Amino acid sequence: MHIQPILVALRRHKAGTVLIALQIALTLAIVCNALFIIHERVAHISEPSGVDEADLFVIANQWGAQYSTQETVERIQQDIATLRQLPSVQEASAANSYPMRGVGWDNFITMQPDQRAPTSDAAYFTGDENFLRTLGVKLIAGRDFRPEEVQNMGLRQNVATPVAIITKAMADKLFPKGEALGKTFYAMTSTPITVIGIVDVLHRGDVSTWSAPYAGESMVVPIRLAVPSGLFYIVRAKSGQLAAAMREAPKALYAENRMRIIDPKDGLLSFAQVRHRAFERDRGMAILMGIICVVLLAITAAGIVGLTSFWVGQRRRQIGVRRALGATHRDILNYFMTENLLISLGGLAIGVLLAFGLNLWLVTRFTLAMLPLTYVLGGVVILLLLGQGAVFAPALRASRVPPIEATRPA
Amino acid sequence: MLKMTHLSKVYRTEVVETYALRDFNIDVKEGEFVAVTGPSGSGKTTFLTIAGLLETFTGGTYHLDNLDVSNLDDNARSKIRNEKIGFIFQAFNLIPDLNVFDNVEVPLRYRGMKAPERKERIMGALERVGLASRAKHYPAELSGGQQQRVAIARALAGSPRLLLADEPTGNLDTQMARGVMELLEEIHRDGATIVMVTHDPELAARAQRNVHVIDGQVVDLAEDPRFHTAYAAAAGQVRG
Amino acid sequence: MLAYYLQLGLRSLRRNPMLTALMVMAIGFGVSASMITYSVFRAVSGNPIPDKSSRLFVPQIDSWGPGRNEKGDPPGALNYVDAMALTRAHQASRMTLIYQVGLSTLPRDADSVPIATEGYAVTADFFTMFDASFLYGSGWSTADDDSRAADIVLSDGFNQRMFGGANSVGRKITLSGHDYRVVGVTRHWDPSPRFYVAWMGAEFDNPPDYYLLLNRALDLQIDNDGRNSCRGAITYKNWGEFLQSNCVWLMPWVELDTSSDVARYRSFLESYSADQQRAGRFGWAPNVRLPDVMQWQEVQHSVPPESRISLIVAMSFFAICLVNTIGLLLAKFMRRAGEIGVRRALGATRHEIYAQYLVEAAAVGLAGGLLGLLLTAVGMSGVGLLFEPEIARLAHLDVSLIGLTLVAAVFATIAAAFYPAWRAAQVQPAWQLKSN
Repeated sequence: MHIQPILVALRRHKAGTVLIALQIALTLAIVCNALFIIHERVAHISEPSGVDEADLFVIANQWGAQYSTQETVERIQQDIATLRQLPSVQEASAANSYPMRGVGWDNFITMQPDQRAPTSDAAYFTGDENFLRTLGVKLIAGRDFRPEEVQNMGLRQNVATPVAIITKAMADKLFPKGEALGKTFYAMTSTPITVIGIVDVLHRGDVSTWSAPYAGESMVVPIRLAVPSGLFYIVRAKSGQLAAAMREAPKALYAENRMRIIDPKDGLLSFAQVRHRAFERDRGMAILMGIICVVLLAITAAGIVGLTSFWVGQRRRQIGVRRALGATHRDILNYFMTENLLISLGGLAIGVLLAFGLNLWLVTRFTLAMLPLTYVLGGVVILLLLGQGAVFAPALRASRVPPIEATRPA
Repeated sequence: MLKMTHLSKVYRTEVVETYALRDFNIDVKEGEFVAVTGPSGSGKTTFLTIAGLLETFTGGTYHLDNLDVSNLDDNARSKIRNEKIGFIFQAFNLIPDLNVFDNVEVPLRYRGMKAPERKERIMGALERVGLASRAKHYPAELSGGQQQRVAIARALAGSPRLLLADEPTGNLDTQMARGVMELLEEIHRDGATIVMVTHDPELAARAQRNVHVIDGQVVDLAEDPRFHTAYAAAAGQVRG
Repeated sequence: MLAYYLQLGLRSLRRNPMLTALMVMAIGFGVSASMITYSVFRAVSGNPIPDKSSRLFVPQIDSWGPGRNEKGDPPGALNYVDAMALTRAHQASRMTLIYQVGLSTLPRDADSVPIATEGYAVTADFFTMFDASFLYGSGWSTADDDSRAADIVLSDGFNQRMFGGANSVGRKITLSGHDYRVVGVTRHWDPSPRFYVAWMGAEFDNPPDYYLLLNRALDLQIDNDGRNSCRGAITYKNWGEFLQSNCVWLMPWVELDTSSDVARYRSFLESYSADQQRAGRFGWAPNVRLPDVMQWQEVQHSVPPESRISLIVAMSFFAICLVNTIGLLLAKFMRRAGEIGVRRALGATRHEIYAQYLVEAAAVGLAGGLLGLLLTAVGMSGVGLLFEPEIARLAHLDVSLIGLTLVAAVFATIAAAFYPAWRAAQVQPAWQLKSN
């Protein structure tokens, strides 16, 4: 197929050519950025929590009566005992928060007591001796808390804890040179905290973008939160008995003491629900971008079909003349396919620049990551195939124009 | 009615200038039926497009209905076309999407005429060409002769001072052509000025006067040996 | 003439149903994507209190100092010591302090289990400053603030739940074991975004059940249920020590009526900070800010980035749909070059041809707008899939959005038709129907 005559012919359809090329360019820019956003969001959504998600659920327990700190501690211990007695329950623990809760506590971490710029801003979990076991978090070094290490914390009663268990990510940040076990750090405390254990993965309580520099950096201290407002019970069901455990647990707790509040709407959440709620924004964004991509590609394809059909209609006589002069079906088909290929290539060349331009803007404005070249190449391939696919039907119709068309009056 | 003096029309390309009309002079009086003849490429169609204000010209003057139309802008020319000129095309040029009634209505719409008057004029014009019963038909449902009569009704509806026709029977068979021609003669008898371009000597012979165009100029056939032979018979009849 | 053009336009659109459907769909999808995302953006980025937004300010004092403050900016709330000092100084025409509380209560029937409630502890000026309107009673006075009265104002929803909607002024209500006297019930009143708790990230949370008298709440040691931010080593061992700590948690707002009041208040904040420096409490030079409502929403990033990105992407999508429409209109109009030539010959001016095709485009736009409206309505019910529930519930299809959808669709399509219609109007009056 000779390209030169096609280019000459295109010059006579400047506006149409420019419009198709422009549409392809803009579509490429939007589609590869949208696909990249989808990829980033999906990556965020599928972050590991480090916990045994299948069997876990969480009860947000608020107190419905006024207890002293000591009374609260007793209540908590009674509740934990009640939960653990349930036949469907494997293990239960009292904590201030849990991974992927959506919000959470965080403490600045320093290596020295007087250090001003913090080394990390770690997620801060207070848990009892059952915390890690209940969550099913993998301890890769050191040891778990001992019951006698767990201290009680009442209203605005700051407790200095001498020990903590930290995640591997946090250990690597704090002690990049190696062995963290036995070393000390400060978590807004005046006394040092010794690392007694390291867990593999324990997701932060929050899932926000501000904490991205501290991803995976979590610490657990042996504290039982006995404040007036309430706390979380993390419960691990026996394998396969999650539904039963979630049914029985609130009933048992209310039976034991009805002066409590387990919110009917979100007081009881399986970990699957926790994960679902945590990434609502990301999932919504991915869905929206997906819908826009699909509709956009459909509209661009339809636009190419529409304009090409118009061109074919306009050039029927010309096609008839070519046919009369000996052009085969295939020649005519190839002509229109090649024409579309040339316009697409032109549009894609501009589109690549637009795609990176749009990405650059999103990077500076919304702290998005840089668009990898593979996404642009993927977009280019998709749009080339889309263009060729869209042009095929009108081109096929063109190739079926009979030579007799040449003799019809202009 | 239509007077062109030393009129010229030049088409310029990068390399050459082509004179379509050169020192073109014609004077059509009110109420005349003039046939413009000449071989293909002689400039007779260019003359008609300029006469109909469809195109501008390069030099000379053109008075239409005693009005100098040399320097009018596009809008003013549209207005004159709409009010003073009726067109009859070889290819009828009916709008396929519109039915007969709506086709005849087009120029009246652009004149901003009220609906009752439009209707009266349209039906009047259609009755005159004998197609009042076909008002709701679409062009594709009519024969060639009927289509051309609709086109004539469209030209007549606006009561133009001047009727311009380009090969009005060119796309019709003999019988249909005769009908259309008789209609034109009837319109002329009612007082219209008609200028018709044709290469058909038989048709030209039915006009009051023939004007011959060759190489973009009006020529006197009797004095031009080049065409004496070819048009002898026709010229003789006209002159007589 | 307009009616004639419209009639011609509709006839022409009927002639190419596929092409017309394609354009209508492109515009419908484009405009609805833009409108759905816009409805969310509008809800999260709007001015929550248009009449007063330029008269309400957040006094910010750097109580943390360089290296500990928010990248050079003072923290977004006050610690107890500074909050009380500012309140006592009476330098603004009005001032309020806010913090979030969560308390339990027993509904009327004694058999039921306790329920959780959420509210704000506020000072007297809160209600006048933020234009609260009352169904029954009113707010309390500054004298009540000073006498630390056990006063409470209920929201209409909570009043419905606790008192069946009756006038509860003067009645008693028990929250977490303490009694309060109802002095007022607000009419449904909830600025969106709830700018005054933006620092807590509670702009889009459930509306509060009640407003407690702040001094009373402090006396009862009702803990802050919202954001709390501290620096350095935390050493407090009890409520009293906590109040003296550097933790910021009290949200201050002041009302300043004139620009000279603003300037005066700013210099007051500076002199207060300078006093603290002289007294040795602050080891750094005064660093204060005084943003108004809209500036505050900007600083606090009240608009989720997702909402902005979605809007931008949706609008780009609409733009592409319009480019598509330009191409299709061009094809459609130029296919009728012959007809245009005849019309021109019969006396139509360029202007009339231009108008005819713009009207045709407007008809396409209107059809696209109607489809867009339908899709927007459908999309609204799916907004919950795209945004978290507390934001999704703010998006709604109201009269202004319906109007905007139609207007945007029609105007965008007319704009898209400028070039194709111009091309159509350029067609020369034709002697013969020409193809190609």
